[in-house]
Amino acid sequence: MERRAVYRNKVLPWLLIGPQLLLVLVFFYWPTSQALYWAFTLEQPWGGGNLWAGLDNFLYIFRDDRYWGTVLRSGFYALAATGLSMLVALTLASFVDRALKGTKLFQSVFIWPYAIAAPAAGVAFRFIFSPEAGLVGAVNDIWPGIWDPATNGMHALAMVIVCHAWLGIGYNFVFFLAALQMIPRSINEAGAMDGARPFRRMFDLQLPLIAPTAFFLLIMNIISSFTDSFGLIDTMTEGGPIGQTEVMVYKIYVDGFKGLDYSGAAAQSIVLMLLVIGLTFVQFKWVERRVHYN
Amino acid sequence: MIERSPFFDALTYAVMIIGLILVVIPFWVVIVAASQSLQEVSRVPISLLPSDQLWVNLSEAWARADLGPKMLNSFIVAIGVTIGKITLAAMSAFAIVFFSFKARMICFWLIFITLMLPLEVRIVPTYAIAANALLPFQVILDTFGISWLVQAVSGIQVSLNWNLLNSYTGLILPLVATATGTFLYRQFFMTIPDELAEASKMDGASAMEFFRDVLIPLSRTNMLALATIMFVGSWNQYLWPLLITTDRANFGTVVMQLKALIPAQNGTPDWNVTMAGALIIMLPPLLVVAFMQRWFVRGLISRDK
Amino acid sequence: MMKTNWLLGAALSATALTFVASPVAAATKFEFWYGLSGDLSERVQEMCSRFNASQADYEIVCVSQENYENNLQNTIAAFRANKQPTVTQISDGGVVDLMLSGAFVPVRELMEKNGYQIDWSNYFSGISSYFSTSKGELLAMPFNSSTAMFYYNTDALKAVGFEGAPQTWEQVETIARDLKAAGYDCPIAFDPTGTWQWFEQFSAIHNQPIASNGNGYGGLDAVVEFNKGKFVDQLGWFKKMTDEGLMVHKSKAAGETANDAFTAGKCQMSSSSVADHGSFAKQAKEGVHWDVTVLPVWEGTERHNSLVGGAALWTLKGKTEEEYKGAAAFYNFIALPAEAQHWSTITGYIPVTNSGFEAMKAAGFYDAAPYKGRELAIQSLTATPPGEYTRGIRLGNFGAVRQEVAKAMQSVIFDGTDPQKALDDAAARSNEILRKFEQTYKGQQLP
Repeated sequence: MERRAVYRNKVLPWLLIGPQLLLVLVFFYWPTSQALYWAFTLEQPWGGGNLWAGLDNFLYIFRDDRYWGTVLRSGFYALAATGLSMLVALTLASFVDRALKGTKLFQSVFIWPYAIAAPAAGVAFRFIFSPEAGLVGAVNDIWPGIWDPATNGMHALAMVIVCHAWLGIGYNFVFFLAALQMIPRSINEAGAMDGARPFRRMFDLQLPLIAPTAFFLLIMNIISSFTDSFGLIDTMTEGGPIGQTEVMVYKIYVDGFKGLDYSGAAAQSIVLMLLVIGLTFVQFKWVERRVHYN
Repeated sequence: MIERSPFFDALTYAVMIIGLILVVIPFWVVIVAASQSLQEVSRVPISLLPSDQLWVNLSEAWARADLGPKMLNSFIVAIGVTIGKITLAAMSAFAIVFFSFKARMICFWLIFITLMLPLEVRIVPTYAIAANALLPFQVILDTFGISWLVQAVSGIQVSLNWNLLNSYTGLILPLVATATGTFLYRQFFMTIPDELAEASKMDGASAMEFFRDVLIPLSRTNMLALATIMFVGSWNQYLWPLLITTDRANFGTVVMQLKALIPAQNGTPDWNVTMAGALIIMLPPLLVVAFMQRWFVRGLISRDK
Repeated sequence: MMKTNWLLGAALSATALTFVASPVAAATKFEFWYGLSGDLSERVQEMCSRFNASQADYEIVCVSQENYENNLQNTIAAFRANKQPTVTQISDGGVVDLMLSGAFVPVRELMEKNGYQIDWSNYFSGISSYFSTSKGELLAMPFNSSTAMFYYNTDALKAVGFEGAPQTWEQVETIARDLKAAGYDCPIAFDPTGTWQWFEQFSAIHNQPIASNGNGYGGLDAVVEFNKGKFVDQLGWFKKMTDEGLMVHKSKAAGETANDAFTAGKCQMSSSSVADHGSFAKQAKEGVHWDVTVLPVWEGTERHNSLVGGAALWTLKGKTEEEYKGAAAFYNFIALPAEAQHWSTITGYIPVTNSGFEAMKAAGFYDAAPYKGRELAIQSLTATPPGEYTRGIRLGNFGAVRQEVAKAMQSVIFDGTDPQKALDDAAARSNEILRKFEQTYKGQQLP
């Protein structure tokens, strides 16, 4: 925000920014205050009254080891899906960057997963990974019971993570490719002249230079693990088996809207929002620093 | 490519083909399953070759999930969000970047805190106000005695009531409220050299004329990128429409119907119809992305400069 | 110059703010939201059309919300926004929250005020006790009632030399072993999340308390007791049977539900609602012969009445007098003997009144296929008069408690957790849920 402001009208900026401010007020700050109210009281599902509960709702969830299990699971989910997705996207981008003949076609296809809605991908992958139908279920004919996301929590979680990673490939690929393409030719040529083979160049030269992009994508992917995960889990496993695919957002949905515990869900939401805001600040500091850096 | 390296070239092609397979397999399975009959799709593993029942399954899915009106609803919501976001974001970013006014930094932070708080994370708070989104204004009016005054003077009772259930505004506005578009525009506007604005001022143009004649045309790629992102994002919304729509027949969106298409209890496991439905639902955003790819990519990347 | 700035700016803002929603006012119609889907939903729609055709004063608009959970959630959302339906179908799980919210109009009050004479004592006591005050006054209109039954494949049982219907769990175990030895892959289809039939009904039939205070009827300070009775052993028995391959896990997540497996002839025994009796007849594969009986008991145990399932129709507060008149007319319509009998014919739901049942019996309804066997549901529901632990379950947030038991059952079957430990954990969490519920409604009494 250091640029010199150009215009000094008094009223116009308010008219311009007014609508968005209004929307943000009505749809963000006001709801948050309501959620805080619910979180500090006991809210009856049908309305009709609140009982002051102080910090009880928060203490209740912090004391609950199932809640912490969900938090850990969300963290694992975020890192695993992000890592997998970024790794695949980076590999593809690195090779596409070599701009061999015909790569344009590959390039267009690699973006497609971005357009797919999480529940649509969830339904498709559920079919593919179903133990008794679809594709992967075939291994159960050879080794019965070896693949069973219906009873094995790890299998179910793995299935959801793979689907999530697949969804993220498009977005990550676009950014990685652009970052790679922004590296001046001269650097690559200099490396080649110094005798570095293509593989060496990839690891020693290019990777460090795209680190800022990678960090940006890391944050964006982690955020997306909070959003897309709902559509995936709801269509693939509904949190099962035995709640072993419940992540934070899904638990909020289950506790609040199926368990009718609005106050508990509100408390969990506040915690989640604070967590995400924390991530926002981290991202912002880093992006701002990069802008100067460039 | 700098030197000849046939081995590395072969490796490159190999990796890209494997990548292609990985990315395309789900699409392929969906298309193939959507074209098979019930017996074929129940075979384990299913055959990876398409069959001939595509049209039959598509019609069945269309009818069963009542996709016609739902597609329309999804379109209305997606277009509403897109237009809303683009307009508001451009205006807000313009104000923040090019104007100096006292509350500039406060406004900036007020808006940007929402940047990374997508609707899924805010689901309980947003739901909490769905019953009456105008309640804060009602409370303000009541506390300051304004509603009392209005009633005393004109006999009209001031009752602000706006509930978000089963309405296009309820589906659209909470999605427009985040700062993603504003951020994108802000990054772009920051790269506009000061001289451009100064020159426009010297030519006697007003701020709005600068906005309309210089900034908007320059930000075309950004606009297209944002439009694509917003269209895809709002089409693919799942959780919020689920909670806010009790009249599914009239206000349901297409993505909500996916779960309804999954083979239910006491029914035949007809995955072929499910996949056909998934195919229909996937198509519009896919077409948008494929079509707008060039601008979309350019617009997405430029935000990082 | 400044003016154009202003105007342009203002115009832009005004355009941007023209999204305004206007709430839609209700007409002389009234709405009925229900949680049935598929075939059953179509039957409801037909019934609504018949009501509309039978009179000209009121028009009912019937909307399916797909399942009971969704219907409860959506009804609550609508109620908070003052857009609720007049009539809503709430099942056992959602009853206590609604009861304490005071958001409904008791059905007896409604009918009396509108001048309809209903013989309330005609309703089966097992059914009415679920939806009545502790003094026995009905709060909701019984509509679709059922109970859990035991389905078996007659050909398969005959093939291993068993005649008739199994009556005890011991017999079920023997039959299952024989079936397995004879080469049948799936003697019993078992879904561990089916708490209704495998846990709640078992407890009632064996007169095991699910919670203190008479399963919660006595007050909000009840504690769960399912980890102290015979259900612990039963869960252990399920585990043993599953380990030996006599019970096979079938569920939506596994790719095939228990009901689908049974009607396809893949599994030979299962437990489901009597409401599915009609759908089974339609869906059973060619050559699959089956029959239904009451749920088994352990040898030497006195059989008690099973719990009623299904749902009832609740009238919500906040609607107009006209709409209430319409709702009353609708209730009267579905209580007409001809209409009630029709409902019990085209669906597997049982008649909710004594006289209705007697009439159907006298007319020979239950003498032959495809309806033969449904009268056993009544037998199951009336094995004994409703007792302290068999008149129903009245626990707050019962849906969440059910989830805990379902998780415990899954944990035992999938992960091999010790049944006592799993149920103790579930009990601890359930009690926390109940205490939170009690605190939310501090000072209030159950009706």
